[in-house]
This record gives sequence, structure tokens and C-alpha cells, in this order.
Amino acid sequence: MKDQNNYAIELENITKTFGSVVANKNININVKQGEILALLGENGSGKTTLMNMLSGIYKPDSGVIKVNSKPVTIHSPEDSKKYGIGMVHQHFKLVEVFSAADNIWMGTEKTGFILKKDRYKKIAKISEKFGFEFNPQKLVSNMSVSEKQTLEILRVLYYGAKVIILDEPTAVLTVQEIRKLFDVLRKMKEDGHSIIIITHKLNEVMEISDRVTILRKGEYIDTVNTSETSEQELTDLMVGRKVNLNINRPATEFDKPLLEIRNLTVKNDEQANAIENVNFYIRGGEILGVAGIAGCGQKELCEAIAGLRKIENGQIIHKGENIVGLEPKTIIEKGISMSFIPEDRLGMGLAPSLSITDNMILKTYKENKKSPFVDRNKAKKKAEGIIKRLGIATPSADTPVRRLSGGNVQKVLVGREIDSGPNVIVTAYPVRGLDINSSYAIYDILNDQKKKGVGILFVGEDLDVMLALCDKIMVLCHGKLMGVVHAHKATKEELGLMMTGAKDISEVNGKVAGIAKDSAIQDIKEDCDAKH
Amino acid sequence: MSALAVVTTFLFTVLKYNMALLYGTVGEIVTEKSGSLNLGVEGTMAIGGIGGLLIGCAFDSIFVGIIAAFACAALCGLLFAFLTVTLQANQNVTGLTITTFGLGLYFFIGNGLKASGKWPDMLSLEGFKSGTEPIKIPLLSKIPVIGPAFFSHNILIYLGIIIAVVIWWYFKYTKPGLRIRAIGENPASADAVGVNITLYKYLHLMLGSGIMGIGGLLMAINLSGSFEGSKCWINGYGWISIALVIFANWNTVAAILGTFVFGLFNTLQVYGGSLSDAFPKALGWLSKIPPQFMQALPFVITAIVLVITSITNKKNNKPAAVGLNYYREER
Amino acid sequence: MQSTNKEPLIRIVKRTGLKKRYAALLYLASVIIALGIGAILLLSLKANPAEYYKQMFTLGTINNKFAYLQYENYIKEFVPLLITSLALSLAFKMKFWNIGGEGQFILGALAGATVAFLVPSTLNPLLTMILMIFAGALVGGLIGLLTSVLNVKFGTDETLFTLMFNYIALYILTYFGETKAGWNIFLKTDSERPQFAKIPENARMIKIPLGDFSLEISFVFVILLVAFIFIYLTKTKHGYEISVVGDSINTAKYSGMKVDKIICRTMFLSAALIGAAGAIRTSSVQSLSTSITNDVGWTGIIVAWLAKLNPIGIVIVTALISILQCGCITASVSANNVDSHFADLLQGVILFIILAADFFIRFKIVIRKSSKKASTQKEVNV
Repeated sequence: MKDQNNYAIELENITKTFGSVVANKNININVKQGEILALLGENGSGKTTLMNMLSGIYKPDSGVIKVNSKPVTIHSPEDSKKYGIGMVHQHFKLVEVFSAADNIWMGTEKTGFILKKDRYKKIAKISEKFGFEFNPQKLVSNMSVSEKQTLEILRVLYYGAKVIILDEPTAVLTVQEIRKLFDVLRKMKEDGHSIIIITHKLNEVMEISDRVTILRKGEYIDTVNTSETSEQELTDLMVGRKVNLNINRPATEFDKPLLEIRNLTVKNDEQANAIENVNFYIRGGEILGVAGIAGCGQKELCEAIAGLRKIENGQIIHKGENIVGLEPKTIIEKGISMSFIPEDRLGMGLAPSLSITDNMILKTYKENKKSPFVDRNKAKKKAEGIIKRLGIATPSADTPVRRLSGGNVQKVLVGREIDSGPNVIVTAYPVRGLDINSSYAIYDILNDQKKKGVGILFVGEDLDVMLALCDKIMVLCHGKLMGVVHAHKATKEELGLMMTGAKDISEVNGKVAGIAKDSAIQDIKEDCDAKH
Repeated sequence: MSALAVVTTFLFTVLKYNMALLYGTVGEIVTEKSGSLNLGVEGTMAIGGIGGLLIGCAFDSIFVGIIAAFACAALCGLLFAFLTVTLQANQNVTGLTITTFGLGLYFFIGNGLKASGKWPDMLSLEGFKSGTEPIKIPLLSKIPVIGPAFFSHNILIYLGIIIAVVIWWYFKYTKPGLRIRAIGENPASADAVGVNITLYKYLHLMLGSGIMGIGGLLMAINLSGSFEGSKCWINGYGWISIALVIFANWNTVAAILGTFVFGLFNTLQVYGGSLSDAFPKALGWLSKIPPQFMQALPFVITAIVLVITSITNKKNNKPAAVGLNYYREER
Repeated sequence: MQSTNKEPLIRIVKRTGLKKRYAALLYLASVIIALGIGAILLLSLKANPAEYYKQMFTLGTINNKFAYLQYENYIKEFVPLLITSLALSLAFKMKFWNIGGEGQFILGALAGATVAFLVPSTLNPLLTMILMIFAGALVGGLIGLLTSVLNVKFGTDETLFTLMFNYIALYILTYFGETKAGWNIFLKTDSERPQFAKIPENARMIKIPLGDFSLEISFVFVILLVAFIFIYLTKTKHGYEISVVGDSINTAKYSGMKVDKIICRTMFLSAALIGAAGAIRTSSVQSLSTSITNDVGWTGIIVAWLAKLNPIGIVIVTALISILQCGCITASVSANNVDSHFADLLQGVILFIILAADFFIRFKIVIRKSSKKASTQKEVNV
């Protein structure tokens, strides 16, 4: 096992381009048998693309893939399966209306033409062998996220995969579930499986992996032994230079609470509580960070404030006025701007096929009430102004947004939002997938707004950034508020504990977090006072 | 005619003249289960019908006819698959084009042969004609009313039922059936486990179209294979089939029942009068209902079914990926 | 390093941006190939393709002293198809699949005819026509509104729902056409057999005489409509809303647009225009019939799609498809063994080839050459 040449997978000089975008450039990676390799990199560093070439979704433009030291060509997922490679995708590839067993069965090669009842037994048996608790007859649509992931893992094991790739497996799991997953991975490793785990969470890398390969902007950076490295070194390798944590945090005079959220409950699309009884407030001239594991209600919270999602219970008080139940348009007119950068970057906030000019007037095209026409001259001037100010790289203002690169798309969105002169900015993942320089440009823009007295809600992913940029940070765990901390006093560890629900300071000595002393919501405050 | 004889003839007619709907519906269900909406049923049936009849007559054999109808229509399916699967063309437009093209080709060939006097006379061809004679099922056909109404039909009527049941079994109990359902629900998931999507889609789109084609042949035979220069044999049955798919909730066995219900209304517009004469007390009201109302009823019912299922938010069995083309490298 | 490149020879890659001239050439080539296939089919019927195509493309106007009649017929076909295609493009731009053009057209025609038979025969013709168009638009529009309201409120599948209405409408029309009764204003009173009557004089299409040829006033209307739709889509707030909704519903909601209202309003307009086209057609052919639509509800979908929903493109495609349809009828008169349905066949072949050509516009094919060390790529424009 310890033989140095005993590689399960070797990737040599792999290059992959999408149009003019180079996703992977001359990448070399190898995985030994019976080891766990972490593939580390920021969003957009090309990890998933690289792994999709192993799983047969993409084909490399050039380079060689070797399995057990033999060069192979992987045309399709079918080939990948044949070579004993199995991938658990971040977005599960399961048929919702099928049972667990059928989801596995549809890809098996050897079994016969007719579906027999004993397939349930066979799958129950094998799941027992790997130590899963599992009901093969359960429909996927009735499964929890963790169960679905278990099914995906069981599926690749059933197909006889020797190399298992997991794409961000922990993003959607609770602490306990992550622990359980890691136990399973260790067990698989002992059985001689090779595991590649894609992640950008350093603590997990340190905990589970034997070696770490780091990618940055589609390029191979280095491979290190986990036992010989530190989180600090990995961070440096991942971002390319020492993280300058000196993001400006200009001191401002905090105003009265601009936006107060009280007892807010919002449901997600599946009708489960996404945000449960949450309190917080934002003052003018402050940045309030929102931290939490992905999918903990961040999106629903943003949508609720913007009036895009039905509010089950609670109040949203803007400048002393309850905005619950108002039309999105009215909320925009009150100066509340929301920008949410989804994973695909284009889902909400921009119309991808329309030009930058047309995207500029998305919220203001109705300004001139008298005319039935859209004023494109004005829009174009606005677009050109923003292109110049934010340094957006584009052939012209008439270029469809879809053609721009990620960073420029985000600049268009953020630029438009700030140009509208809001007094509250709700922004989620504004630096998602951006390079460091573009990120800093965005931070500067936000700080400028803060200095002007705008209240900013910053939903972020990177705790280091939030600790440096925000004035306060509120932490969500499964839709519940775990507490609000001052960023300059808080530590990453503390936030981490709160995010996983291990620490709950939402109510300390009867003081409820997220309620302002000088709240505009007098009745509730009196109510609270009366209690104590 | 005795009252019982009227009922018998009525039920016999329901089956005989509407079974083509079942072929169209089962064919379209196979197509939709593979994740494609093919609006070309009308054209596909026309091509299957004319191809099956001409080749069947040329060989003077109904069996050759059935195979030819299947094969000709399957070629339409191949064309649809090539355009939508390989070339990623819009399914709605491709389907409509198949209908335009299919009907165009139908009239082109038909009128061409008729003008040159080469159109075959099905009734004078002994081999072919005998193949279309009713087959009486032993014992069952002796049952009064039910026997002559349901068990004394030509081979294509039985074949339709058999195909519907076999396809139902195929989807529910076989692995290729499981795989094609997976493709119709979520092609990316089927792809990820190594199912050859292109191959499966091609085969099943061809299978679906082929089944439609046999329905076309049945319509031709019902009209004794006579070609009219202005009116196509299929006469809108392809479109009704698309409605029936919804009515049958994408279940081929339910489609048998659906065909019977739709057929009932279709036949009532013709036989409503005789039925009301035979049973003046119970069914006297039938003669007062305009025939067009009966014809429109299946469509009205389907529209209502569509609205009700959407209001109650009841999940129907519509495959989730119907109408969407799959491109693996989509980002 | 071993050379083991067994990569496939051809790969398909999505294309970003393409010269318009290239696309136009590709479409032109498609039509020529299709005509070539048509020629082979014609030869198989022993018809002379050159002669046939000449007759077709000139609408049989060469050496024909009644050529003006051909042009009049052409306008009769062109106008309803153009209105319908434009109207459908409005809905399609929102990705709202209105395939109910046939039904909306029929109900519009019926409403138009109702007005024609009910208003006093002394009423001013222009006013009568306006009333007819208005009635057709109202009835068509209401059907469109029903569909869109059900869609936005309950998520009813609009493709299948509009499809059902095509047949419901057809049977309603058939009912009026086949039911002899005192109240039935649509039928001839002097005929035993039920038969649709001609509409009164004052409801017939107004014509502007230009020598022998007389121009139906609807042609003027349709030209104004093209200009209106063009401006509506590209310059107005409504048009802007339609493009945002069509591009991303989430973005539209986010920006405060009332998406439901926009969908309903646009669908009303789309179906209303088709209804108006039905009324115009009734006025133009002067009588109802069960084949009054001439399949424009279907052909319109194809036209709108081929023209990529561009109003000017729709005018061009409609003009060409109308030539095909009128021309084939004319040509089949002289080539009597070729059925006039040859138009459908040819149209189908052209469409198949254009659908295939679209592939080369959206994707490009990369041919791979493998060498010892690295692979080089060569792009080919097919």
C-alpha cells in the first residue's frame, strides 16, 4: 500500500476550456490507493470541472488520465464507472420519484432484464456491509439531504467504485452528519478505496485528508502532506498571497435603527421553516454580517426583506414603518436594495440576455410615469458611468450581461444597486467567485456606502472577511438566530461554534439578542421590560 | 334492430373506430416517458398508415403491413430524435413540422398514386383483406352482447390492447423501462450513472412513433384503405391522442380505459340517435344533444382535468423533464 | 509519456456569438437544399421541377392577364398569417407556449361574423369592419386571458390547455355550421342543407382599387401593426417588461415587476390579435367555414420560431411561406399530378433542414487532430 508508484488515479497536464474561459490549465494530480486526497481551492478555482473530467461529464481538451498507471480515455459517465470511478455530485443526481433501490438499480450493468423484488434485499445487504442504516424502498422525495447523500455514496460503492469523488459533501450537513460522513470515509479508506474530497473548508481538510492538492484560478499550485502543513499555509497557497485581513473598517457614527426585524418566520419552498423567530436590526452606517452554513435560511431572509417571499410571522420595520406585505416595488421605492448572487450568478437580479444598458434600468424603467417609452439614452449614460467607475471589462454598454465574466457581472449588479442611492443594502455573496482584487473593489464600494450612513446587511461565506469588514455579525443555524456578536471582539472559533449550533447566545440572562435598546417598536420593548 | 343489438353494435363500434387512439396515446406516452413532447402524432400516424397500407398491399399481407406501418412511423421518430436529441432543436417546433411534413407526404404519395392509377384496392387483395377479418376469440366471443362487442374484432384491435399492457409492464418491471423513466424524469441523473441517454432516447422515440404508426394503419383499414384527396384518414385522432395522454395520467393501461371513454363520446355522436330510439325512456335525451358537443367533450374534459389537477396541486405522473433537451456539458 | 489519445474525432461545443451574415447564408443554403430535395420528388412524379418552381415563385403571374387575382389571393393569405405570427411571437417572447392560435382564430372569426350578421346592413362598411375586428379581438383576448390567469394562479400547463381549446373552438364552429335552426344567423336560409351564408355586403373587406388590382384595406392595417409591434417590443416599457420576464422570471419579480399581470396582459394582447386576424379573415373571404384558419395557428408558430421572434424577420418569413403556399396551389394547376399539399411537404423539408442548420448556429463542431505530445484543435464552420 505504501508503494510510491501505486497510484489509483493520475492526471497529467489536463487542460479544459469553455469558450474563451480556461477552467483548468495543465493540471497534474495523483491519488494513491487507500488515501484521502483533499482538493482545495476557492470558488471558481476549477475543482469541480477537473473532477467532472474524471466522472465523464466533460472531456479534457488535452492531457492524459491514468487509472492504475494505465492511460485511459473517459468519454462518458459509463466509461468512468467502468474504470471504477464514482462521483457524488454537489447537486445530487437522483430521480426524486424513484425508490432508493431503483436509483441504484438503474445504473447496474450485470442484473437481468426484469426488475425483481429481491433487489431491495440485495441493496439492504450491501448497505449493511458498509454500515449504513438504510431503507431501500424509501422514495428519494421523502429523504433528508443526509439520506440522499448516503444513497449517492452507497450507489457508487455498489457499482464497485474504487475511487470516490465527493464534491463539497459537507456544505449541506449538520455537525453530527459531518462526523458520521467522515467516519464512513475513514472506513472506506481502510477498505482500500481512494477518496478525493472537494472542499474549501480548511478545518475539514485538516481533519480528514492525508494529502492536499491546491488549485487556484484553474491552475495547479501544490500538493502537501496534511500532517506537515497548517491552516495558515493552506490559506496562503489557496489565495496566493497572505490574506490581507486589513480590510478597511471605517469608524462611523451609528444612527438609529434603520431596519428592525422582529420575530420573523419565513418558510422555504418546501414549506419548512427557513427562518424561525429571528430578531435583528441594522443601524445607519453599519455593516451587519450574516454568517451560517450554506442553506441556513440566508436566501429566504433576503427574499423576505425584499418582499419576494411570504412572511409567516413577525415584523420588518423600516424607519419606523412596517413593510411586511408590501409589494417588492414599494419596498424598492423606500430605498431598500437587495442584491443576491446565486451560485450561477445570473439567477436573480440580472436579465442575462439583455444588455448592460437594459439591466441598468431594471428597477427604474418606470420612473417617468408620463411616457410609455423606456428612456434608453439615460440608461446608456448610466451604464457607461458605472462601467467607467467600477472598471467593468466589456466591449460596450450594449453587450449582453451573459457574455461578461463573473466578476464583471457582479460589478454590474452591485454598481446598479448602489447607483440607485439606497438607504438599506441587503447583499448576499457579493464577492462569490471573484478574484481578490475585484473583491476588494466591492468591499470599498460597500464601505463608501457605509460612510454615507447606509445600513448594510452583508450575507457572506468567508468568516475572515466578515470579521474584518463587518461591525457586527449575526449567526444563523438552521434558520434560528444563534446570537449577534461584535466583529472586533469575536473570534472565528466562536463563530464556528455558533454556526454549527454548539453555542447559542441568542438569549443570555434574559436579554434577547437582536433587539435594539432604542427600538422603534415600543410596545414590544415595553413588553420585554415588563417581564423583567 | 333489437335494443340489445343496438348496444352490441354501439360497443363494437366504440372499440373498432377508436382503437387507433390507443395506439397514438401509448406511442405518445412512450415518447413523453423518455422526456420528449412530440406534437407530430398526427403526421406520424399518417405516414405509418399510408406506408403500412401500401407496403402491406404490395406484399398482400397484413403482417407485413403492420411491420411496415411501424417501420415507416419509426422513421419519423428517428427524424424527431435526430433533430431534438442530436441537434438539440426545439421539440414543439420539430413536432409541428413532423405533422406538416407527414400530412404533406401523405397527400403527395396518395394523390400521386391515385393520379397514375396505382392506388391499391385493399378489398380486392385476398391475403390482406383476410388479415383484417374479425377474429373470434373462442368461448369469450360466445357471451351475449359482450362477446360480439369485445371479442370479435380484427387483429389490430387486440394488438393495441396487448401493446398497451406490455408497455405498462415494460415500464414498471424491466430495467430498460426503469432507465428510460429515469431519463424522462432527470436525464442528468441517468447520465451520471452511465445510462447511454442518446441510445435510449433514440430507441424509445422510434418505438413510440412506431406504435403510433400502427394506429394509422388501423384507421386506413377502418376506411377500407380508400384514399380521399382532401381528407386525411387520421382526421385529428393524433391530436386527441395527445389529450388522452393527460387524461390517462401517463399510464398505458389507464389509456385503454381513456380510449374507451373518449371512444364512447365519439361514437355517441353517430349512434346517439339509435341508442335513444332503442331506449327511449333511459336514453331519449341523447338525440337532443348536438353531435359536436359529443365531439368536443373529450377536449373539454381534458381541459377541466388539466385545470383541476393544477388547482388541487395533485401531482400527476407527467415526467419532470418532458420538453427539455439534455446537453451534458450545459453549465 | 505514452500517446494514448483515443479522443473522438468530433466534439460539439456551444458557440458564443456568430456573424449574422453567416447565419443568413446558412438559412439560404437550407432553403436551396430543400428545394433540391423537392425537385427530386417532383421528378419522381414526372413533373418538371424548373417549370413547377417558376410557376410557384411567380405565383403563376407570368403571361397571365389575371395576375392581379393572384396578388389579391396572396394578400388574403399573407395578412392573417402575418398577424397571427406576430401575435404568437409576443407570447413566445415570454416563453409562454400559446399553441392555441387555431382556436383563438376560429373564435375571433365567429365573433366577427356575429357582428357582421347582427349590425344593420345600412351601417357604414368601415365602422362595421372596426366593430368586427373589435369583437374578434375581445373574444380571442378573453380566451387568452383565461389561459394566462389559470397559468399564473394555478400553474395550469398552457401548452396543453391552449391545444384543447383549438378543438373546442373548432367544434363550436362546426356546431353553428351544421345546425339548422331559426336562431342560427350564420346559415343560408334558402338552403335545405346547412351551409354557411355569405356575410352582408357592408361587412365585406373594403378594397382600394389600384387599376385591375384592388388592395384589401387589411393590408394597410397589418403594415401599421408591424410597426406598432416593433416599437412596442423594442421601445416601450411593456416591451421591456416582456423581455425581462422572458429572460428571467426571478429577476423580473426581484425588480418589482408584477409578473402575473405582465403575463396576463401580454397573453391577452397576443390572443386578441389572433382573434382580430380571424375577424379580418372572415371579412376577407366573406363567409365562415370550418377550414377558415388555413392552419395559420400552426404555421404561425413555425414562422415566429424561424424568424427568431423578430418582427421584421416575421414579415420576411411570412412573405416566403405565403409564396410557398399560394404558389404550390397555382403550380399544381399546371402540373396536375402534383398535389397542392406539396406545399406542406416542401415546407416540412425546409423546416427540417433549417432546424438542423440552427444546430450549427448554436454549436460549433471541433475536429480534433491527435499528435504525440499534445492535441491541436481546428475549428470548422460547417
